[in-house]
Amino acid sequence: MPDSKVLGQNYPRVDAADKVSGRSQYASDVYLPGMLMCKVLQSPKPHARIQHIDTSRAQHLPGVRAVLTGRDVPEARFGNGAVKDKRLFALDKVRYIGEPVAAVAAVDEITALEALDLIDVTYEDLPAVTDPIAALRPGAPLVHEDLPSYEGYKPNMRGNICTVLDADRGDVDMAFAQADHVFEDTFHSQGINQGYLEAMACVANVDPSGRINVWTSTQAPYQIRATLAEVIARPMSRIRIIPMELGGGFGAKLRLCVEAYPVLLSLHTGKPVKLIATREETFTLSGFRLPTIVYLKTGVRNDGTIVAREAISIFDMGAHLGAGVQSGVSHTLGPYNIPNYRMRSYAVYTNKIWSGSYRASGVADVTFAVESHTDIIARRLGLDPWEFRKKNAFNEGDLALQGGTIPRNGLHETMDAVKSHLGWPRASKAGTGVGLAMCQWRSGSGPSTASVSLLEDGTVSLLTGSVDISGTDTVFAQITAETLGVEMNDVVIARRDTDLAPFTGPSGGSRIIYSQGKAVQMAAADARDKLIALAAEHLDVQPGMLTCANGRVYMTETPERGYTLGQLARMSLTSASGPIMGTASLSAMPFAPIFSTQAAEVSVDKETGKVRVVRFVQAQDVGVAINPMAVEGQIDGGAVQGIGRAITEEVVIKDGKILNPSLTTYLMPMAADVPSIENILVQVPTDDGPFGARAVAEPPGFGPPAAIANAIEDAVGVRIKELPLSAEKILRALHGEAPASTELDRDLLQQLRGSSGPG
Amino acid sequence: MPHPLNLTINGEPCTLLVEPYCSLLDMLRDQLQLTGTKKGCDEGDCGACTVLMNGKTVTSCMVLALDARDQEITTVEGLRQGNTLHPVQAAFVQYGGVQCGFCTPGLIMSGVGLLLENPQPTEEEVRFAIGGNLCRCTGYSKVVQAILKAAETMQAQAS
Amino acid sequence: MNRFEYREAQTVQEAVEMMRQEEGARIVAGATDVLIRWRQGAWKPRYVLNIKRIAGLDEVSYSPDRGLSLGTLVTVRTLERHPLIQEHYPALAQAATAFAGVQIRNLATVGGNVCNASPAGDTLPALLAYGAECRIAGPEGERLVPLEQFCLGPGHTALQPAELLVALRLPPSPPRAGALYIKHSPRSTMDIATVGVASVVALGEQPGVCQEVKIVLGAVAPTVIRATAAEALLRGQSVDAEHLQQAARAAAQAANPIDDIRGTAAHRRAVVAPLVQRTLHYAVQMAQGSRLPFQMQRGLAVEAVF
Repeated sequence: MPDSKVLGQNYPRVDAADKVSGRSQYASDVYLPGMLMCKVLQSPKPHARIQHIDTSRAQHLPGVRAVLTGRDVPEARFGNGAVKDKRLFALDKVRYIGEPVAAVAAVDEITALEALDLIDVTYEDLPAVTDPIAALRPGAPLVHEDLPSYEGYKPNMRGNICTVLDADRGDVDMAFAQADHVFEDTFHSQGINQGYLEAMACVANVDPSGRINVWTSTQAPYQIRATLAEVIARPMSRIRIIPMELGGGFGAKLRLCVEAYPVLLSLHTGKPVKLIATREETFTLSGFRLPTIVYLKTGVRNDGTIVAREAISIFDMGAHLGAGVQSGVSHTLGPYNIPNYRMRSYAVYTNKIWSGSYRASGVADVTFAVESHTDIIARRLGLDPWEFRKKNAFNEGDLALQGGTIPRNGLHETMDAVKSHLGWPRASKAGTGVGLAMCQWRSGSGPSTASVSLLEDGTVSLLTGSVDISGTDTVFAQITAETLGVEMNDVVIARRDTDLAPFTGPSGGSRIIYSQGKAVQMAAADARDKLIALAAEHLDVQPGMLTCANGRVYMTETPERGYTLGQLARMSLTSASGPIMGTASLSAMPFAPIFSTQAAEVSVDKETGKVRVVRFVQAQDVGVAINPMAVEGQIDGGAVQGIGRAITEEVVIKDGKILNPSLTTYLMPMAADVPSIENILVQVPTDDGPFGARAVAEPPGFGPPAAIANAIEDAVGVRIKELPLSAEKILRALHGEAPASTELDRDLLQQLRGSSGPG
Repeated sequence: MPHPLNLTINGEPCTLLVEPYCSLLDMLRDQLQLTGTKKGCDEGDCGACTVLMNGKTVTSCMVLALDARDQEITTVEGLRQGNTLHPVQAAFVQYGGVQCGFCTPGLIMSGVGLLLENPQPTEEEVRFAIGGNLCRCTGYSKVVQAILKAAETMQAQAS
Repeated sequence: MNRFEYREAQTVQEAVEMMRQEEGARIVAGATDVLIRWRQGAWKPRYVLNIKRIAGLDEVSYSPDRGLSLGTLVTVRTLERHPLIQEHYPALAQAATAFAGVQIRNLATVGGNVCNASPAGDTLPALLAYGAECRIAGPEGERLVPLEQFCLGPGHTALQPAELLVALRLPPSPPRAGALYIKHSPRSTMDIATVGVASVVALGEQPGVCQEVKIVLGAVAPTVIRATAAEALLRGQSVDAEHLQQAARAAAQAANPIDDIRGTAAHRRAVVAPLVQRTLHYAVQMAQGSRLPFQMQRGLAVEAVF
């Protein structure tokens, strides 16, 4: 970025000083006079009919102000996605351990908890189905026996099948028949919790005039508003969502989660009501990722060209439609040119909490499979894993899965960067090894709005409805400052809520820099054009003769003739077109892929199976790094999340019960567990992103599991196809103890292969 | 039944009434509205509730409020001197050690506690010293860098 | 979650008397467990009895002839950093540095760790390997119980009603001794041990001969256990690799682990021998005069280095 004062600079986050001082306000930091505390009673059963609920003892406990059950709220179903299969409270039956059955508002938390113990629920046990393969068998207990009556139901949702997706191209069976080699592998990914530090929290307060105010921890205030309006049967305009500072979400807070309970209790009691989820409830009240099985079959030629791929993915979806199944048809090819393919992706209902969103849900699971499989093939063919990938990797102009062709991108640059930074190939000392993985994602799209106002002193106010998670506010300030030619300090991001800012899409899916940032750039440009137009009018020249820079609009040829932005702002108050305000609104952005190549160097203790990541290198194409420090921070975090997924994290569920809903037993990486991540920012600009920037956040979490599994094979010669790569699995493999069979039954595969699925 | 409690918080003497089962964390947040200290797990596993008690870092979710009788507590709110950030705070800002910010107060207190005991730590020592503070956003690289830079700044100030 | 009461004792006698008069006490010292177990519904004390204000219970004293005396309130952080403990009882300092995180080490007490009697408790293997003895105060006065007889099962100790652990005494460390504790767990901090091993070796006048050895296993039985058969194989023998291997294999026989959330019995059994062999190896090196920097000891203890 030549001649830029602002782009490419490592500005600290605009909110960092508040955060380090403990001044930033998160939802649980809101205290209102007369506030009550809310607790939710959850089902202890994975599958049972509710025969009777008696809340009378709870209601009579001193300090309890209200108790609600499914009978007290609108009966309509809502959903996380296309099909409406959820209720706020279980009504006729419970479908998972943890499903909400009642909610209490009391003067403090300990009283609310005592009240929960006094709610008597009589259940009649039903047979539960807690394994997706079992759920696919004919005659399996049905999680939703009334599925056909749900809004959004499609005929291919039979039995416990929630979603079926497919994608085909060419003639995959003929290509397999003609290939020189065919490889088949099945991979298992584990249950993963998003691990956000701030558990869900929400304060609701209903004004006497009927206005519902909701301070909440959310990534998607407008989506929350819409769903809340639907489930409590009130108009959206009555609901004001105030997104508080977000202490992590990573997808878990993209949809309505706990907000409805304090809202309903506030409507009922006329008092503010607060709910703060416990850490355990981040496993039982909010969906996390459930396990996935991915079967891959690949045909290759002797020279290493991939000619065909079949992928069949089974996503354990839990009791309600959640996230992830899309990745089974969007990411099972990897960033490779494969002319013939058949992809099938199934989401299966089971009696567990729904499978929630976590950073491009499903893509990490699928990438573990694809990038492990890629290495297995390379090694069997005697090819170098880097060379094999290089040979098959996308080039600009190749057909894109999404339609059209792959635009300009930095995939090959990232591969080359990792190779040279790491020095590949190289001899490693005994017990150590290196493994690669490539990641792909797309810059997110979706409705985005922004408006930029010039204040009378020449400073600038930016208003967008987006929630700042990754430091996007700082980048928006940089974009605005760069476009208008002002200092960073002169740009202020307005505090916003759903009343103040127009609709904008959620903060997730790597959407914000690319789409929202584009809207910000367009709004700032709109404001700049209006400033120039006003100055042109007063100077009586053509707009094309003016420059907007350094806080002024002036004649390019004679710079002393011009106005400061402050002067123009004041002049605009009485001008024909009124105060200067730039606006932008967009709904879809062109496809802009994100690619990354990662390499893990590991050390394996052959006597105990313990694996340590000693180095982690990643090169990612970020388009243009508007704030390199912020970008690096983002990809550092994603990589460490991936390392956790690779080695230590697993939500252990037995018969529908989560055995480790606690940070004592759900193990995420701490500082002494990971090295400093080595980052290389590759910059191949997009045509459409703000100043050429791509989205950044999600890809780094996809590659580590495969990179580490590949490194383990490089180090000690064993291949693990099931996550996490625990010491036990590695040691057993070293001792030649084959794991219990993890391959899918051939008949089941055959059924899943057909577009209509089993049944 | 609530008991009276006298202690010093950020240099100020405080007198309160607390229930026996109230944690130091809940007392700081709910009764004093010192909400800078965060609750991440309420079982000592994440470090978001870290404060200094008599100059030592502790996870305040496990400490009975009544056990803090006559002790000196420092929370993140007590680090800033007027308008000047503590060097550890300033370094977190400058070197990108802050993202969502929820783990930040606890991490900063751990950094401050470390430098009180070991003014010139190595990278390894920093990683172990903050090994009780979970962060899900930063991957720790820039946090470690910030603490090392703060150590440099404080050494320079001292000499 | 019952609404418990709070009491403080200013002396040991006062604590004993309170417990004698009123049942349902849960002693708190560091208080790293009481609130957590209470929130989980596992503990429902009628009252908590805070002994942290009792003077003199947090003292560390060492002399070459009398050994080490640790007051029950000595924090795990002190065990980690005290130069005399690092010097003379290194396995205890290593166990302390492998324990949770700094914040919890600043609160947790050695007495609390012992009275929790968790088979995976980090300080227990080292304390047992060093021959620790518990000093207990009660209504009948004081009594001494070897640590081996103090921990009876998970969460179960030899403490009688109204009794209080007041101190631990470790005998003098012999010359030419070395020790290592290794904690096998997925992460380098904050974990509960999947398997813990502490070995202490003292060499005789001849530097290549083992005069005394203690091998203690954690998290592979209802309490920490000594691998006495393994010790017998090594005592009096040359400390060459083959003898260490032999002892390690024998130690694995002593393990009687279960499956739980932290690991399967099979895996636990499989790692005992290599961990014992490794702890013996480094114990011998240290006994032979190698000075391992504390960083290195910590690295070995948490498997950051192997």
